[in-house]
Amino acid sequence: MTEEQARRVRVGVIIFLVLAVLTGVEYWIAVSMTGNLLPLSLIALAKVGLIAYFFMHIAQIRYREGGH
Amino acid sequence: MSSTAHTHGEGHSAHYPRLYINRLGYWLFLFSESMLFAGLLASRFYLQGISRPEELSQSLGLGITVILLVSSLTAYLSETAIAHGDRPAFLRYTLYTMVLGAIFLGGVAFEWTAAFQHFPPSSPFGTVFFAMTGMHAFHVFSGIVLLGLIYYNGRRGAYGPEDAWPPEAIVKYWHFVDVVWVFFYAALYLVA
Repeated sequence: MTEEQARRVRVGVIIFLVLAVLTGVEYWIAVSMTGNLLPLSLIALAKVGLIAYFFMHIAQIRYREGGH
Repeated sequence: MSSTAHTHGEGHSAHYPRLYINRLGYWLFLFSESMLFAGLLASRFYLQGISRPEELSQSLGLGITVILLVSSLTAYLSETAIAHGDRPAFLRYTLYTMVLGAIFLGGVAFEWTAAFQHFPPSSPFGTVFFAMTGMHAFHVFSGIVLLGLIYYNGRRGAYGPEDAWPPEAIVKYWHFVDVVWVFFYAALYLVA
C-alpha cells in the first residue's frame, strides 16, 4: 500500500467513525425527545455533506484537468 | 461536414477532458435522481405529518442503517484501491459492499413482513413507507448488480489507476443510495 493510499484509507475510516457517531446521536434524539425535526434535519445535512465531500469527491467537478 | 464536426469535437475536448465531462454529467444525473426521492420525501410529510407509528422497529431501522453505512466505507476503500492499482483490495472490498447491500435488502424485506400487518399499503403511512423503502431498495438492488459488473470485469483485469472511471461512477452511485437513506431513515424511523 502506497503512502497516498494509506492516507486516503485513514481519511475514509475517520469519516466513517464520525458518521457512525452522528447516527448514534440521531438515534438518541429520536428515542429521548419529540419535536425533533430540526435537530434531525441538521444532523442529516451534516452527514450528507461529509459523504458528498469525502466519499463522493464532489469538489472534483471544479477541476477541469480531470484529476483529484 | 464530418471534417468540421471532427475539428469542433477536438476543440471541445481540449478544454474539457473526458473525465471532467463524465463527472459533471454524472453529478447532473444524480441531481435528477434526487428529485425523485425528494418528491417521495415531501409526500411522507404531506400524508403523515411529523408523526410515526409506534410499531416501527427502531432497532431494525438502526441496524440496516449501520450496515449501509459500513458498505459506504467498503465502497470507498474499493474505489481507493483501484485508483492506486491495488486490484486484490479492490475486488475484496467490492465483494464486501455487495454482501452488505444484500444484507440490507434482507433487513428491508424482513421489515416489510411486519409492516404489511401494522400499516398496510392502503394506509397513509403505509403508502409512503412502501413507496420510499421500495424505491430505495430497488436502487440498492441496481447498485449490487452494477457492483457485480465491475467485480466481474475487475477479475478479468479491467480498470487501473489510468482507467478508474467505471468503478468510481458505480461507487458514487452507491454513496448516493446511502445519501438517500440518510434522509429516509430520519424521516421514516426517527422524526416524531
